[in-house]
Amino acid sequence: MKTHTTPILTVIKSIAFAATLLSITTPIQADETCQSPYMAKIVGQEDFVYIWTLGVEGIGDEQDKLVTVDVKPDSPFYGKVINSISVGGRNEAHHSGFTDDRKYLWAGGLDTNKIFIFDVHSNPAKPTLSHTITDFVKKSGGVVGPHTTYALPGRMMITGLSNSKNHSGATALVEYTNTGKYIATHWAPTDKNLQGAIKTGKFADGYGYDVRVLPRLNAMFTSSFTGWNNYMMDFGKMLKDGEAMKHFGNTVVQWDLHAKQPKKIFDVPGAPLEIRCAWDPNHNYCFTTTALTSKIWLIYQDKKGQWQTKDVADIGDPSKIPLPVDISIQSDDSMLWVNTFMDGKTRAFNISDPFNPKQVFEKKIGEQVNMVSSSWDGKRLYFTSSLLANWDKKGKANEQYFKLYHWNGKKLTEQFSIDFTKEKLGRAHQMRFGAYSLYANKVTPSRALALK
Amino acid sequence: MKPFNVAQILFTITTTLVTDMSIANNQLALAPGYSPLAFIAPKPGSYQLPPLGQASNGQLLNTENQDIQLHDLLGDKIVLLSFIYSTCSDVNGCPLATAVFYKIKNRLTKEPLLADKLRLLTLSFNPQHDTPKAMKHYAKGLQDSTLDWQFLTTRSEKELHPILQQYQQSIQKITNEKGEFTGTFSHILRVYLIDKNKQLRNIYSVSFLHADTLINDIKTLIIAQTVSTPQQKDISSHQLIKSVQPSLLGLPKIPVPNENPITEAKINLGEKLFFDRRLSVNNTFSCAMCHIPDQGFSSNEMATAIGVEGRTVRRNTPTLYNVAYYQSLFHDGRESTLENQVWGPLLAHNEMANPSIGYVIDKIKQQSDYQGLFEQAFDRPAGIETIGFALASYQRSLISADSNFDRWHFGKQKNAISALAQKGYRIFTGKGQCNSCHTISSNHALLTDNQFHNTGIGFNSTMQPTGSTTQIRLTSGIVINVDNHLIDTVSENKPSDLGRYEITNNPNDRWKYKTPSLRNISLTAPYMHNGSLASLEQVVRFYNQGGVKNVTLDPLIKPLHLTDLEMDSLIAFLNSLTGNNNHQLYD
Repeated sequence: MKTHTTPILTVIKSIAFAATLLSITTPIQADETCQSPYMAKIVGQEDFVYIWTLGVEGIGDEQDKLVTVDVKPDSPFYGKVINSISVGGRNEAHHSGFTDDRKYLWAGGLDTNKIFIFDVHSNPAKPTLSHTITDFVKKSGGVVGPHTTYALPGRMMITGLSNSKNHSGATALVEYTNTGKYIATHWAPTDKNLQGAIKTGKFADGYGYDVRVLPRLNAMFTSSFTGWNNYMMDFGKMLKDGEAMKHFGNTVVQWDLHAKQPKKIFDVPGAPLEIRCAWDPNHNYCFTTTALTSKIWLIYQDKKGQWQTKDVADIGDPSKIPLPVDISIQSDDSMLWVNTFMDGKTRAFNISDPFNPKQVFEKKIGEQVNMVSSSWDGKRLYFTSSLLANWDKKGKANEQYFKLYHWNGKKLTEQFSIDFTKEKLGRAHQMRFGAYSLYANKVTPSRALALK
Repeated sequence: MKPFNVAQILFTITTTLVTDMSIANNQLALAPGYSPLAFIAPKPGSYQLPPLGQASNGQLLNTENQDIQLHDLLGDKIVLLSFIYSTCSDVNGCPLATAVFYKIKNRLTKEPLLADKLRLLTLSFNPQHDTPKAMKHYAKGLQDSTLDWQFLTTRSEKELHPILQQYQQSIQKITNEKGEFTGTFSHILRVYLIDKNKQLRNIYSVSFLHADTLINDIKTLIIAQTVSTPQQKDISSHQLIKSVQPSLLGLPKIPVPNENPITEAKINLGEKLFFDRRLSVNNTFSCAMCHIPDQGFSSNEMATAIGVEGRTVRRNTPTLYNVAYYQSLFHDGRESTLENQVWGPLLAHNEMANPSIGYVIDKIKQQSDYQGLFEQAFDRPAGIETIGFALASYQRSLISADSNFDRWHFGKQKNAISALAQKGYRIFTGKGQCNSCHTISSNHALLTDNQFHNTGIGFNSTMQPTGSTTQIRLTSGIVINVDNHLIDTVSENKPSDLGRYEITNNPNDRWKYKTPSLRNISLTAPYMHNGSLASLEQVVRFYNQGGVKNVTLDPLIKPLHLTDLEMDSLIAFLNSLTGNNNHQLYD
């Protein structure tokens, strides 16, 4: 093996010169459409889908589990459950996210505040439970409801939904290292303590839900749902409880990503949930949807470089509470999939003009639908059914499933469906993709680039 | 392996960008570290960089082929450490880290004092190729007298491996189809900021590696003191014992059972138990999750409570203020002593859901922070009786009195309450006859008769047909009517509630509930046994209309014919019943 002949200094200077000539922007270090830009991504065919599943009293072993489904089209086990790890207890399994090196999957329990860390790299077909964080509340200084587990370099940013003082919606962001060591708690700004943030409207509720970042703009955004009191309550009971209904989040907060400090608090009334940011480096905006008021909101940088929010579209008929839940943005920023829990539909919005999303497609997926995950090329859409244990529909309408559809640009065609009740698994919730190519040593040069 | 071809890289960058910007954006564009920062970096010292853990040691080689410990290069200066391999051809990989270091070095020529506090370490993870000699070649032109920049490698992969493991620097050798190593690696780019205590303080990857932010972080470390991690507030004694000693204005002597005299040790132990979430089957619920101190020891944010796993509780959380004076406990009066009462919520499936008494006792005994506390308070270990005694002692100490009303009525301070509230008192004891149940004695006011009455609230909830729609508040200013069929799809069957009848089986006791004290009533919304009335105004209007007619309606409940002013005055009076000593009980 020879030593390269061009000194590195020459290389550096040349690249720097190219950068000044070409006004080049940020690279995309992407994952399949909805995850952290810091993370390795699967740009081709995913091999597995990991489904964080809620245990149900009276079904199977009644406890939460990580279910692995084989989705390799040429596999003899295509569309079948190939692994299931029970973790003990019903923890209100909800969301999960990989570390930036994609070796571990962190899966939170909104009720018991446990975080289950699965090794997904040693054998992607058969994840194992590596470690469980059981002292999240104590370490974080009283944060309850670990929700989004979001990869930052060498660490995880975890959004809370509630607190141990009164189970209300006041909460914080909590940082851990990838090895599970607590780092810091960043409480959301409230009227009592704005922490230097500018309150642009009527609300400063201090609530939390999702977190997304645009590193190139040093921007981090959080949305706001509701506290333990509500997300654990029977949905119908809560809807009829006038006091409970007063306690939903109405804000999106812009943070300084590097300093982890809140900068601006925006009114986004009606419980803004998932946040998805555009991928194109020239697209300085993100979307969120409000669960109760059924609107798409745009979080965008105005011409002066200031962050703003605007409601840009209705989802279904807001007077019938369709309850938009999960959303998924296509990797080319052309379309936003929006699931609505109550009518069980998925809707596609053309977002080429982010200020004027237009619904171009809708289809009923089931009696209820919650999560939607898209492959990087947008051709495969996976759906699951469960929202929250006590919010899911009752009786026959309580369908629990994991389904794959193919999208050809015009219609969705079902490929397979797994009945999670019949399989004695439970309530199917968050989906994450796995692939051998992320960990194998035989990788193509283009694959290697995506991993850098 | 082919020589490094810079021209080829630049050609690729240029053509790709020009031909298709969107593809370039996703596949090959230069990292921000090569360009001016696209945002204003936060000022040094305006933020914190909490420690991420200890920076590990390792056996290294320098460019002079000398053995050196990584820890020998840490401690005296702030250190930036990057892992690279010298033949890395990805512009956004290793060359980026080196380019950013180079920028930092150049920038610090103008800040020699800062340069003196910094060391740059570039460590190869390809010892097979990157010998000390190769690293010396790599370093050519990068080092000068500005600052200490060292280029390092390891003697072997065996010596390298633990370092990569400790720093979680993930690398994979890329092999060709024959399984032969191609000389390239797949890896996540990482740069580490390490302080003088050998603590990791930041980790950077491609999207956020930039000389400006790194220099600001270095300055922040120099400015900042060590950041302490927040600790959960310890529950400390509030000297609650004081509240149970001489009687507070407005309340009589506290009834204390002979077998459980109040002591400070018992109160403190009871308080610890009261706030302990481990006292539920899944460690999520303490007594204080429903009886929330700064919500009047009740729950302001829901009409009826929920317990473990969100299980439905039928009734509103009653306040614990002055619970010592109740002759019966719970809304239906099914318990008679605080000592026994505590086991109800601990064992109820829809409250704290502990599977058995022994489970609770054993769990407490196993906790190291309870060691000796029961023995100190009772001269015996935790048990069914001592747990009840301790919790009862704490709850008995939550005495709230000396309200403005007490100061006016019993203390004879003329201006302690407003003229409107004084008028309200006259309505309360006159035209309204509220004091028939919410009693006021000559020298104290419990504001409860400790009896059970049917106001029609329970009857209404159980027996009235439900309409076709429900009014739901979506957010401030948006209220809609929703079809009940839709709500039913996400609703469990509503449990019925027959009140005192459930205890006595006497049909005359249907929908009777215990009269609550009105002390601190302004703190304990929503109201009634099922939390169905949101405000005191709604409560007063409910009684003014004579409740809801039903077969066992209490004869005392009848239309009052109060004017709006009279109702306002009643509310003013009710608002004067807040204890002035409350903050001493939980702050």
